[in-house]
Amino acid sequence: MAIVNLKEKTIQVKIVYCGPGRSGKTTNLEYIYNWLLKTQGQTTSKLTSINTKGDRTLFFDFFPINLGKIAGFELKIQLYTTPGQVKYESTRRLVLKGVDGVVFVADSLLSRQEANIESFQNLIDDLEYHQINLDDVILTFQWNKRDLDENMIPLTSVEDMEAQLNSTLKAQSFPSSAITGMNVLKTVRHLSKKTMEAVIEKTVSKL
Amino acid sequence: MDTVIDEKSAKKIEAVLEKFLDESGATYALLTDLGGNLLFKSGEEDIDGDTLAVLSAANYAATKEIATLINKENFSLLFHRGDNENIHFAKIAQDVLMIILFKPYLSLGLLRLKISDIQEELSDLLGP
Ligand SMILES: Nc1nc2c(ncn2[C@@H]2O[C@H](COP(=O)(O)OP(=O)(O)OP(=O)(O)O)[C@@H](O)[C@H]2O)c(=O)[nH]1
Ligand SMILES: [Mg+2]
Repeated sequence: MAIVNLKEKTIQVKIVYCGPGRSGKTTNLEYIYNWLLKTQGQTTSKLTSINTKGDRTLFFDFFPINLGKIAGFELKIQLYTTPGQVKYESTRRLVLKGVDGVVFVADSLLSRQEANIESFQNLIDDLEYHQINLDDVILTFQWNKRDLDENMIPLTSVEDMEAQLNSTLKAQSFPSSAITGMNVLKTVRHLSKKTMEAVIEKTVSKL
Repeated sequence: MDTVIDEKSAKKIEAVLEKFLDESGATYALLTDLGGNLLFKSGEEDIDGDTLAVLSAANYAATKEIATLINKENFSLLFHRGDNENIHFAKIAQDVLMIILFKPYLSLGLLRLKISDIQEELSDLLGP
């Protein structure tokens, strides 16, 4: 549910990181935020995190990014994470209101296969609660924690993760490590671009 | 559905908000949709409007869930009192929340009257 303001010439879209508990959603946002701080010296807003004492997300993490201008329009992205833990259903659902793009951060740990699948089903249900179809949002998968491969920790293969979650959807996907930053920026750049294009197609190009 | 705000409505809404601040004596007013997208802001400059919009929408949504949980009609009034600044949240249209910052010496009752004065106008300008 993007917002287009024709006076200010701004387009604003909402991207939400979803996925099971501890899959690395918050770590993704922290990496992007720190990268922006480092390369640009400052950001327009702080990273806001509503979490528990133990650093688990309770409601969401949030910060906005300015992407610069396209066709005279200032592009703004609102980045959010959801709480992955099953017990935070009520707050997780609220974060998805008005979402335009979703990064599904799946956990590559072998032991988290079921959790990924359950969480993805939850995402579909939560979207339905807002009368949004999965087809209405731009979706990108992240197969996260690939760095653990080097530590001989048993991981689900990328092929198996594709088969379990992405076999019919055939959405864009990236193997990633939110800790080392592998493909973290690539994910957000790809999804921002796709989401913006979709919104422009639906709104500005029709004016 | 995506929201497109045309230039004419944007100008009118900004004028309504400025007049509201003038007449009510409030410090700052902001409009956000319930998804946390900042729509308009007016008044004191050094506030991070994006974050305020997101947190206000979240706060409103969470309160509404609590109301449903305990089987109460939605609380129509959300209000926080601070030492230097009070904040009031009002749902002014189907999908739009208004956030007003004001000094403690102003009366909330009067402020709410002023809000109800402009509510219909804003609601019309913001569309369905
Ligand atoms: N090795 C490794 N660890 C990771 C990676 N991403 C996240 N972690 C770690 O996993 C733990 C959980 O990460 P978070 O980012 O807090 O997970 P989350 O998805 O936000 O979890 P919830 O807020 O509970 O939903 C932390 O200890 C992170 O350091 C990764 O790519 N590789
Ligand atoms: Mg988190």
